[in-house]
Amino acid sequence: MPARLPRQVASGVLMVLITVSILFPVAWMAIAGFKGRTEVLRSPFQFFPDMWRFDNYAKILQDPQFARAMVVTFVGALLFTVLSLTVNSLAAYAFARLEFRGKRFWWVYCITPMFIPTMAIMLTSFVVVSKLNMLNTLAVLIIPGAASGAQMFFLRQFYLGFPIAVEEAALIDGASRWQIFTRLFLAQSGAPFVVMGIASYLAYWNAYVWPILTITDPNLTQIMQFLGNFRSDRGNQWELLMAGSTLASLPTIILLLIFQRFIVNGVRISGIK
Amino acid sequence: MALVQQPAGPAASTAAVPPVPPAPAGRRRRRVPAARQGRENLTAYLMIAPMVILLSIFVAWPLAYSVYLSTFKISFYQEPEFVGLDFYGYVLESAGFWHSIVVGLYYALLTVPTIMALSLLLATFIKSLSKRAAAFMKTTVYLPAVMSTVVTSVLFVFMYQDEGVANWLLGLLSQGPVNWLNDPHLALPAIAIPGIWLGFGISTLIMLAGLLDIPDSYYEQAQIDGAGWFTQLRHITIPLLKNVLLYLFVTGFTLAIQMLDLPLIMTGGGPVEATNTPNLYIFDSFRDLTPYATSFSLTAALLLFAVIGAISMVVFRLVRSDKAVDG
Repeated sequence: MPARLPRQVASGVLMVLITVSILFPVAWMAIAGFKGRTEVLRSPFQFFPDMWRFDNYAKILQDPQFARAMVVTFVGALLFTVLSLTVNSLAAYAFARLEFRGKRFWWVYCITPMFIPTMAIMLTSFVVVSKLNMLNTLAVLIIPGAASGAQMFFLRQFYLGFPIAVEEAALIDGASRWQIFTRLFLAQSGAPFVVMGIASYLAYWNAYVWPILTITDPNLTQIMQFLGNFRSDRGNQWELLMAGSTLASLPTIILLLIFQRFIVNGVRISGIK
Repeated sequence: MALVQQPAGPAASTAAVPPVPPAPAGRRRRRVPAARQGRENLTAYLMIAPMVILLSIFVAWPLAYSVYLSTFKISFYQEPEFVGLDFYGYVLESAGFWHSIVVGLYYALLTVPTIMALSLLLATFIKSLSKRAAAFMKTTVYLPAVMSTVVTSVLFVFMYQDEGVANWLLGLLSQGPVNWLNDPHLALPAIAIPGIWLGFGISTLIMLAGLLDIPDSYYEQAQIDGAGWFTQLRHITIPLLKNVLLYLFVTGFTLAIQMLDLPLIMTGGGPVEATNTPNLYIFDSFRDLTPYATSFSLTAALLLFAVIGAISMVVFRLVRSDKAVDG
């Protein structure tokens, strides 16, 4: 068909234009990390550096604060992800499959927090965690946000869709509820766990306000806290800041590239129409 | 921002409610022997216990505590004094509080409609692509959504520098350099741009999912009748996407009015309070050490967010019940 080719070219061109304009800020950040101090904000403007320098990246990586913040945040994010998947999937299974006294009440109790905006409780949460002596511990970053009504709800929807017959057969064979949960349900939870796990990981990795409220110990500084404080702490060393920001974005970008199929389909899994 | 908004701060999700397919909510009472029912009760309680305990400590307690403290006058120098609902009055009479709401509404006005229009255009375009091209575009469109607000803020501050990219682009149009973040009229729009960049990915994917559910035959029929692109958009796409649009509008609005990180990092609320969003106003007055600031900020947070929580709860119910009807 002769009419097809021009259309394909047009949409190809449009695709390139859209991709370039969406990704421009990220590319600009990564490239600025390769520029020299005087080059990074030089006028007249220049897109690529005269000479590609790797020393900004090397320098920020050798900064003990930065390296430590990356590692501490990574460890915290993994623990947070595991904890939140555990807590929320256990409750999700119970609400999806078990009948128990007071179910209705506890369901409302667990689901209502979804509708409480963060700021309404953040200030007194700070008072609560300081009363519990949790300030300046990794626990203050991991434990308070782990239980999530929204995640629990999402996983429950998924478990509701499981065929009930299999479960009843297992019950008749004498399997306990715990065995059914671990061997049947968890074994099938790959896709929703990926979607929810990434949501948890991103939330932790990208968090800023809660860490700046609760962490003052430099050994526990979180990566976004480090970047947020960089300008006031070290002046306008843009080339270093851009190199650091690029490195700090890599884990989330890699996650997206590995799991893009799941994330994109996650919109469908979660049932948005 | 991922699919389910889950700030790693104190528990509780923000108002971004995950839209979910209808679930058979009715009870499935199975007849079970009393002994087994007892064991089942115990199992269930053990399973929900971690969730219930965490929510009690990190949501219920802080919330109750906020309500309690908002009725006291707290100062470092004196014993707390019970003042009843006085602070609610002070907040409602405070010019700073209303100014921050105006700023929040203006920010929402700048971002939400833009994100929705942009998402609709992008989703329509992605729908027209081949499978492989569409997969590529979906990942591209989603990439900004996984970026952190801090990195984005720092990056845009960098681009808004006097010699930065933004002014270079203006220079191409032979316009003078602009002091983006220091001009009270420009600062909020300048913050809205990274806000839009961070936010449009997820809504594009949601709109795309909505578009894919519209049968192709509707468009084919319209084409036979000679309807153009715009007519199709107006008479087929928008009416059939009504629920998705409503959902995106309300969640977008409730998230936008709660914007905190971007103005906190980019401008700190300035210049002359031009970017002092409600959350930033509350956050700063909490950190403020003047007497009674604590009670004031807690009360302001409760007042504002009772309204937002109620809105998202109503929408959540609407979206769910709607699904139950046509699902």
